[in-house]
Amino acid sequence: MCALEDLRVVELSETAAAAFAGRLCADAGAEVVLVEPPEGHPLRREGPFCGPASQNVSAVHLHVNAGKRSVTLDSETQADELRALVDSADVFLTDWATSALEPLALDTGALQKRAPRLVITQVTPFGDTGPYRTYAGTNIVELALGGQLKITGDPDKPPLSNYGSQAEYQAGLSAFAGTVANVLLRDASGEGEYLDLSIQDVVATHSEHRGPALNLGAVANRAGLSVSATYGVYPCADGFVYLTAFAPPLWERLKAVVGLDELEDERFATQAARLEHNDELQAVLTGWTLGKTSDELRTFARRGDPMTVMETPERLLASEQWRNRGVAHEVDRVTVLGPPWPHEEPPRHAPALGDANEAQL
Amino acid sequence: MDWKTGRLPLTGMRVVDWTVYWAGPFLGMMLHDLGAEVIKVESPSNWDSMRTVIDVNRYAGDKKRPMTAQERANVNQHYNEWNRGKLSLGVELREERGRQIVLDLAAKSDIFIENHRPGAKHKLGVAYEDVKAVRPDVIYLSLSGYGQTLPERDAMALGAPVELASGLFSLNGYLNDDTPAKTGFSYGDPVGALAALSALLLAVRHRRKTGEGQYIDVAMRDALSFGIGAAFTDWSANHTERPRRGNRHPVYAPQGVYRAQGEDAWVAISVRDDADWAALGLALGSPDWHGDAHYADAQGRRDRHDEIDGHIEAWTSQRSARECETLLQNHGVPAGAVLDLQQVGEDPQLAARGAFQEIEHPAFGTEVRASSQWGRGDEPQPIDMPAPCFGQHNHDVLSRILGMDGAAIAELERDCVISDEISATDD
Repeated sequence: MCALEDLRVVELSETAAAAFAGRLCADAGAEVVLVEPPEGHPLRREGPFCGPASQNVSAVHLHVNAGKRSVTLDSETQADELRALVDSADVFLTDWATSALEPLALDTGALQKRAPRLVITQVTPFGDTGPYRTYAGTNIVELALGGQLKITGDPDKPPLSNYGSQAEYQAGLSAFAGTVANVLLRDASGEGEYLDLSIQDVVATHSEHRGPALNLGAVANRAGLSVSATYGVYPCADGFVYLTAFAPPLWERLKAVVGLDELEDERFATQAARLEHNDELQAVLTGWTLGKTSDELRTFARRGDPMTVMETPERLLASEQWRNRGVAHEVDRVTVLGPPWPHEEPPRHAPALGDANEAQL
Repeated sequence: MDWKTGRLPLTGMRVVDWTVYWAGPFLGMMLHDLGAEVIKVESPSNWDSMRTVIDVNRYAGDKKRPMTAQERANVNQHYNEWNRGKLSLGVELREERGRQIVLDLAAKSDIFIENHRPGAKHKLGVAYEDVKAVRPDVIYLSLSGYGQTLPERDAMALGAPVELASGLFSLNGYLNDDTPAKTGFSYGDPVGALAALSALLLAVRHRRKTGEGQYIDVAMRDALSFGIGAAFTDWSANHTERPRRGNRHPVYAPQGVYRAQGEDAWVAISVRDDADWAALGLALGSPDWHGDAHYADAQGRRDRHDEIDGHIEAWTSQRSARECETLLQNHGVPAGAVLDLQQVGEDPQLAARGAFQEIEHPAFGTEVRASSQWGRGDEPQPIDMPAPCFGQHNHDVLSRILGMDGAAIAELERDCVISDEISATDD
């Protein structure tokens, strides 16, 4: 989908949220100019690396900056060039705080006067209003204050951050959607738009159990791998499998595939009884899953039985499903995943530092 | 976007929302937040199971008797969270007259979204081809677990288990642990919904430029995997399994979740660079250990991470999580109390930006709901409508949009083609 092919995006970013949003703009066909300090974007130095670490080619850089062009600028000594670049863009995407943008006259107030057609997306840890607007945030702090950290991990261990930068990723998707929404408005009016997106806001919105917590006082806590015997993760012979037999028709289907007489016992006859005899049921089902390999379980899962098998990146890259969907692409000797929607064009390689200095400045 | 002037990007567009559970309904709700009129379509024989699958009130430890499925259909706090702002049409899709109503509605709509099992739309005759025949420029989006392609098309998908299929689960876990870990909620749902929304908005722009609609196939698994895309690139280049890193960070050191005063109370702290490290020393009152020359740079702090964690936790465990947060933030160090979901509802920052607002629901009463994530700030976009009761807007939709008269609607009701009750029997 090249729906943004007529747009030029200038991205001034340090962390992953804005970088993800910029990546998706590139996937949608926009020309995306990543403004980097002379020493390079911080994500270039966040390992693991593809090639010698001294070259600062990190896997995360190759992923989130795929398809962008790079311009190196010292924002202090080259502020005029930076302003000219931003002023001439269609979209300005940044994760800088207003207090850092103001001295450069790149804050929203100044930009709206100079570039009234600009679509501005500012994605920051806590947003640009409210008592925490000057607070510092990182992915784990955003997960903490948005309510997703407390509920992840084992109940007898500390709360656990999930892998990667998931607060930033959620906000990156939201920032991208919000940016395209504002582009639609600009298409109609010819006028610029401003989005002040808070990563904490996004994380808190996505906290699934918040509705019951705030309206019924039912506060969820960490549950580890298993919510209940009919909704949780089990070990299998060579991996893990999630059994999802939480509703009566799913239970019948699981019983049929497991095929053990013990499951016909009246202790497991109704959903309420299964919850009451949770640990006994878990023991029976564990006995069954441990005797099955991931491949055997995949056969069941693919025909619609209520279970899901753990996959690794290695396994997914080799999977028939992804080959058939065109998810992964070879880009300059490494694999880069395409955007999470149907796409004909593979992503382009992430830029070498300053590869567009001559063209853009 | 400016709700005060009604300047929203999808104003004037209509959406048929044939979705269930979380990912699909959340997608429909976001389309409403962006200005569209969204009509949630459910059948009396096959409603959105989220209405009834969990008796939330019983789950909450309510002392009242368990509710019947019929009673809980309109008060479920998961359903009501992800369906606010929609109109509800209760129409029997298995009846030809019911199917025709949905197609008539689709003919007067711009977008059709669904997240049923991939075979269902064909079986019931409301697939892309069926809708395109009556609305050639429709944007029709299917959101599923693995996509509409074989061999995994028919696998069952829910937002929590799909995390196992995405690669994310295999990478999650405590530091150097052999066992993976699961995100504490159905993480595939919001991520899949936002990926689907992104694709839809791009399709809207394409349609406004060219007049062409399209079919879009989005998979929750693909959206989750994209969020950890670097791990796939790393594997392709290095073919190395990495140890699990728990709460630590590849660059920031130290970073962790530290015990605070109180039961199950914790504070998350990140030291991004040497400046943060110096600031942390000041916030803690310049203790002797902080001056250790081994800690002067990030590599030294990474090498002695356990040791530093011990020092930090000795300090945090004497204070409340909020006190730690404030003292550290006042010195510019990223820190945050690890909030539970009740505390999230009371957080002053989220409150100041209008993240949660009250709305009157016709069956439940006063509810607190999350507002549009793009409308927050000093003047947040107000929540305008609660989630609908089942079939609440049958008359409005059939008369206003399809132009039916009272007699025709009464006949449909009599023949059970439309209804404002689900046909549940109790389990």
